Amino acid sequence: MTELTSLQGQTPLSAPPLGPLPHDSHVLAGINRILQEALRASTEEELGQLCLAVAEDLTGAAFSFFGERGGSDDRLDHIAISERGWAAYTGNDPHFVKRELPGGMKIHGIFGQVILQDRSMIVNDPANHPDRVGTPDGHPALRNFLGVPLRRDGETFAMFALGNHPTGFTERERAIAEELAPAIVQALLRKRAEVASRASQRRLLSLIEGIPQLVWTATQGGHWTWASPQWVEMTGLSVEQSLGHGWLAAVHPDDRDAARRFWEGAGERGNLAMEGRLRHVQTGRYRWFKTRATPVRDDHGTIVEWFGTSTDIDALRRLRERQETLVAELQHRVRNILTIIRSIFTRTVDSGGPIDEIADHFRGRLDSLARTQLVATQSRSGRVDLENLIRDELLGVGAIEDDRLSIQGPDVSLPADTAETMGLAIHELTTNALKYGALRHPAGRLSIAWAIELKSNSKCELIVKWDETGVPAMPVPPVRHGFGTELIREALPYGLGARTRLEFRGGGVLCVITIPWIADDAAPLNRSTEG
Amino acid sequence: MNRRSPLADKRILVVEDEYFIARDLERALQAADAIVVGPVATLEQGLDLAESQTLDAAVLDVDLAGERAFEIADRLSARDVPWAFLTGYDEWALPAPYRSASIVAKPFQPDRIIRAIGALIPDKGCA
Repeated sequence: MTELTSLQGQTPLSAPPLGPLPHDSHVLAGINRILQEALRASTEEELGQLCLAVAEDLTGAAFSFFGERGGSDDRLDHIAISERGWAAYTGNDPHFVKRELPGGMKIHGIFGQVILQDRSMIVNDPANHPDRVGTPDGHPALRNFLGVPLRRDGETFAMFALGNHPTGFTERERAIAEELAPAIVQALLRKRAEVASRASQRRLLSLIEGIPQLVWTATQGGHWTWASPQWVEMTGLSVEQSLGHGWLAAVHPDDRDAARRFWEGAGERGNLAMEGRLRHVQTGRYRWFKTRATPVRDDHGTIVEWFGTSTDIDALRRLRERQETLVAELQHRVRNILTIIRSIFTRTVDSGGPIDEIADHFRGRLDSLARTQLVATQSRSGRVDLENLIRDELLGVGAIEDDRLSIQGPDVSLPADTAETMGLAIHELTTNALKYGALRHPAGRLSIAWAIELKSNSKCELIVKWDETGVPAMPVPPVRHGFGTELIREALPYGLGARTRLEFRGGGVLCVITIPWIADDAAPLNRSTEG
Repeated sequence: MNRRSPLADKRILVVEDEYFIARDLERALQAADAIVVGPVATLEQGLDLAESQTLDAAVLDVDLAGERAFEIADRLSARDVPWAFLTGYDEWALPAPYRSASIVAKPFQPDRIIRAIGALIPDKGCA
């Protein structure tokens, strides 16, 4: 107390008596105003101005401010300056002219003592006060001062101060200001809690409405109580239409039983999950969703409602299905080709001959299959260019295109299964020509030509003609009873519905393969002369 | 003394689009004294034979040049003709109603096919 009494012109906190009781009807009306209007204020500053206006009215002060300790504790941030305070400002500091509240003010001077000494304070002779630091340019001259600390949980976190009472502040004004202080604190904190709660609700709502899931709440048994905008947008069902069991209308008829069963046993189990289809209103298509529900429990652990999300897994499911199809196709193809290779091997061995020759034949056939497979799997369409198929085969045995060898025809791409058998046929013809025919004899000539012809019944045929000339007649044409002959005469007609002609003439082999052809627009057509 | 083959004189339909596989099946069945109906390569031909021929059993390739042989299987079942799939597909890749069918996996050994088809045909011989 000794140091306090040494402060000039100041009445000590403990000084009795309080004079006229502040609990008069005016003060109570002021407190009511503060508490009632606080929540209506749209900003903290507006709330602060309201509190200051009440304080000015009740105490007769000319102006006032309301400030709070900043984050660093030794600074003061303004919450509000009263309307009269702004009006009294005469300087031209652009910040004050624009009514920008000063922040980060050092806690010092006369007002600073309210916080530093943690008590209310009347200073009626500020010009001679030892802590005086002066006022900013344009601030009305300070004739007297009443400052009151604002406490939260017993700690001073803010203050408000009144200035320039016409005759100086007395214990009466101090009592009024101290009476207002708890109401001001309560109003400010209530306002802050309300703002925080609204911000948190907004955050939660924007989270719920911003996530890509359809969100809903339900009570036991799948009785919906709320649905998010995503649900409404996806299904076209309004919230009202979806409530109760209305949501079932968006579920695929085949999945409705599963959706109802989903809720059976919801009492015991904690979390529910199912996959089902929901109708997408814009496209009319059903999309797959994974639906999960989590119980919300009260303090006793009883389930009070369910919080559910439905996640679009349509693309994922289709991808999974596509992957399964691809794996199945791959397995099928691999096993099929192994079966064919096994069969070709048996046949090659059955035709007899020295082991070297059998090995050569088998290797040649395997290479031919491998080449076709490679080309077919490398192209996106899975089709094989006929000319490349023929050239690869002939190039593989070292034949060169010169005046004795002609390869001619339009661009034709064969489906993989056709290419496989055609490749083998070309291989057998080439092997034969190399061993006994046009590719062995210097005088031999080979012409390979093909065309697509439109028949009179508007169906198309691919006709491939292998024509050897100039080959000396052979006593026994070796290909006649072998694998190659069977392939051309039987395998091509069997699988591809082809008609084939294989002749061992004097001068060389003539082979004509005619395959039914499904024309695509890109394939060039030669009109049949017979038509 | 040769034991009589369980497939002797049985009429077996073969539907398989790959020539070499079809011929191997034909040979294996003929070696077991069966009478081969077909082989044919297409769904259309298969359906035709499944309806017009007297049959004791059938071997069906699932994939017939891009078409599925399920329709043939259904027609055969309607006539109480037992059948087995010959396929490179795993069971899971088949539609649900056919997963429990008799399936011979490719690549196959001829005696496995004979055993599988023999198992389909009710044994009417004397013990």
